[in-house]
Amino acid sequence: MSAQLDSPPPAAIEPVTPRVRKDRTGAWFLAPAVVWIILFTIFPLLFALYNSFYSFRFGQRNQFVGLDNFGRLFTDPNLRNGLQVTLWFVLVTVTVEMLVGFGLALLLNREMQGKNILRAIMVLPLFATPVAMGYLGITIFFETNGPINDTIRALGGQGIPWLSSPKWAPVSMMILEVWQWTPFVFLVSLAGLQGLPQDVYEAAEVDGASGRQLFRSITMPLMAPTLWLILLLRMIEAFKVFDIPTSLTSGGPGRATEVYSLFTYRTALRFFDHGYAAAQGFLLLFIVMFIVTILYGRISELYE
Amino acid sequence: MKQSRLLLLLSLLLIGVLALSACGGTTTPADSAGSSDTAASDADSGEATPVGDEGLAASVTTASDLAPPIVAEPCGDDCPYTGQTVTVIVNTAGEKGPISGPIYEVRDEFEAATGATLEIVEVPFAEHFPKLMTDLTTGSGQYDTSIAGAWWLGDLVEGGFILPYDDMYNAEGFPEWDFEDVLPGPRSLLEYGGQKYVVGNDHDGQVMYYRRDLLEDPDHQAAFEAEYGYPLAVPETWAQFRDVAEYFDGKDLNGDGQPDDGLTMHLKVANQGMFHFMSFSAPFVIGPDNPNLYWFDPETMDALVDSPGHVRAMETMIDLVQFGPEAMMAWNLGESWDHFLRGEAALTFTWGDLGALAQEEGSQVRGLTGAAPIPGTTEYYDVTAGEWKQVDGVNRVGNTTGGSWSGVISKDSDAPEATYFLLALMASKPKSSVYAARGWDGVDPGRYSHFLPPNGDASMDDYLAAGWDEQDIQDYSNAYYENFNAELQFPYLRIPGAFEYWTSLDIHLSEAATGQATAEEALQATADEFEQITDRLGRDMQQQSYVSSLGLE
Repeated sequence: MSAQLDSPPPAAIEPVTPRVRKDRTGAWFLAPAVVWIILFTIFPLLFALYNSFYSFRFGQRNQFVGLDNFGRLFTDPNLRNGLQVTLWFVLVTVTVEMLVGFGLALLLNREMQGKNILRAIMVLPLFATPVAMGYLGITIFFETNGPINDTIRALGGQGIPWLSSPKWAPVSMMILEVWQWTPFVFLVSLAGLQGLPQDVYEAAEVDGASGRQLFRSITMPLMAPTLWLILLLRMIEAFKVFDIPTSLTSGGPGRATEVYSLFTYRTALRFFDHGYAAAQGFLLLFIVMFIVTILYGRISELYE
Repeated sequence: MKQSRLLLLLSLLLIGVLALSACGGTTTPADSAGSSDTAASDADSGEATPVGDEGLAASVTTASDLAPPIVAEPCGDDCPYTGQTVTVIVNTAGEKGPISGPIYEVRDEFEAATGATLEIVEVPFAEHFPKLMTDLTTGSGQYDTSIAGAWWLGDLVEGGFILPYDDMYNAEGFPEWDFEDVLPGPRSLLEYGGQKYVVGNDHDGQVMYYRRDLLEDPDHQAAFEAEYGYPLAVPETWAQFRDVAEYFDGKDLNGDGQPDDGLTMHLKVANQGMFHFMSFSAPFVIGPDNPNLYWFDPETMDALVDSPGHVRAMETMIDLVQFGPEAMMAWNLGESWDHFLRGEAALTFTWGDLGALAQEEGSQVRGLTGAAPIPGTTEYYDVTAGEWKQVDGVNRVGNTTGGSWSGVISKDSDAPEATYFLLALMASKPKSSVYAARGWDGVDPGRYSHFLPPNGDASMDDYLAAGWDEQDIQDYSNAYYENFNAELQFPYLRIPGAFEYWTSLDIHLSEAATGQATAEEALQATADEFEQITDRLGRDMQQQSYVSSLGLE
């Protein structure tokens, strides 16, 4: 009771002005997003960080190991292999997808018979589940009597060891990825091309610009922000590739197609070494963030 | 306009090629995924597990309708487990699939006999162990029993996650089955540290299969003897196996006019290739003076897998690869079995499923499939003495490699008695005998009651009723009996982290087989990784588990 008597008088209640009401309403609208981010981004991130300081036995935290799991990142040859395979994968697939996807968009961005049907068919692979693409790949690349090797043999050639050779297996994996994701580049590029102002082209044509000049001086500069954005999205996705190598080759032969995500998956859910897997996750996060920061800066410059 | 037409033509051509590709060939793995009711594919499994022989079965055969008899009487109004639910987690394979099929089959009988409800949760191979471990480590008790792989025992028992059933075994109120009926090799996998944890179901082990018709053909016999200087016969050593494989490689073995292969194996990463190596390498390392040490030194837990015996075994095995199709480097188990079942290979060594599948409709080798124990060697490297030792005759080592998928009871089960009732019912002799005789259910033989006289008391009539060829089952029964009853047995690794150790071996075996590393380099890398895994999991604790699991105390 005395505590009540001794306590300072309560602060004056702020009158509910329209501004305060507006702020509160805004906060309520924001709340779901904030809760979502806390639950599904911040919490998992902090939990993974917490786990990364522990060793695990029987799938349970065993003992605090400090930064040991991060130290292993620099000495593990299998992780280095996973990183190498993934970097090659990203470099090759994203480059091919960008060139082919944008090239096809340029070709189909004109009046022609069956244009709409072709465009619709072109994007079909996008709707396939990546893991299904992997299993389809096993059929397509089947060495004994798969359709590709059968065709090659019918033409007088020798079958290619698509999946059994450590040199060809990564190629098979990349072909499937390019097959699936080139339509994405095509689709977004085509949308970008169709949004370009036609009057600029007409004016340039009146001035006698050649097709090559139109492409170099108008199309490319105007498409640059879109292309950088596509590049950014594709790189992020390609770094996380998992389904196709897992279902197509299980990372083999040996570790020839063991991409980073597959390596991390095995570490966490096969070997229950959750601490080390968490550290691997942070390394990938760091690499992707680094690339995103650079590309995002470039995109921002272009938009300015 | 011309350009547009050309573009249209090119695009249609491209689409056509893609569509054709998607249609696939006549006997590609697409068939495995879709056309068989023999077994489910692993199409939904993400990554296939490197362990276990079920779930990836062959696709060229069709399941038979033979069903086991009813064993448990309906409980009527006096049901012991009314209101209880038993939830079993099992590898995805469906109602007519390996290992899961018999559980669906027994459901009505179990529910009528106990009053309990049976729920079956199918999960892909790849998800089974992680899901089970998650359930056990969090204590959520979602699953009462798992039809588990034998190599999980180290994690499950050492982690205190499963219950022994010694008190319930053949106690009143439970179906009877005979633990001693199981042969010594597979029986050792049912116990851990002197207690019974695993209820007998599937009994895995690898034997050699050969084409009997080819080996008995007089023309081949004469030609082989002229070429190799000794009579063509069932190989007893790996050296003879090599000769036979070499001789038949490139010859038409099934009359389709195409050259076939000397042998078939499955060496795709994460698809059990390392089991081939384990069975193959055992007689190079295990011998009369070293019956147990293959994986680790029990005193130091130093890895032994880079010993000269292991290295020679891997070199010998990789040398054999040239007599099989190059594609087998990327084959899973089902694809390799299909190759044999289509009559396209003369030899293989694998699990019991193949012998049974050879009898099913669609097989081209029914009545032609001989079986014998895995070949041996004439010398082995004794890791304890550090020297090669000659043996009199052939050094043969039996094996129980594989999953031996069988039920264990979760410590968090709300209905452990009802769960044991279910597992014991399936283990009862009348049911087990039918399971062992059928090809599609993935349950392989391993009990005296599964083998023909004089080795056991199985009935030839039962096997003939199941569709077996008489000579095929005679060979098969003898081969498995000898394998499981062999004096020397390959030491099965059942310590925590067994899966991780085996994955390392599996990947490095693939590297060696595909020329990315020599056998010595591959095994050295395997040994290095073994050391790292042991250190991480705790060398002392691993050593205790190892010693305990092998009964070396």
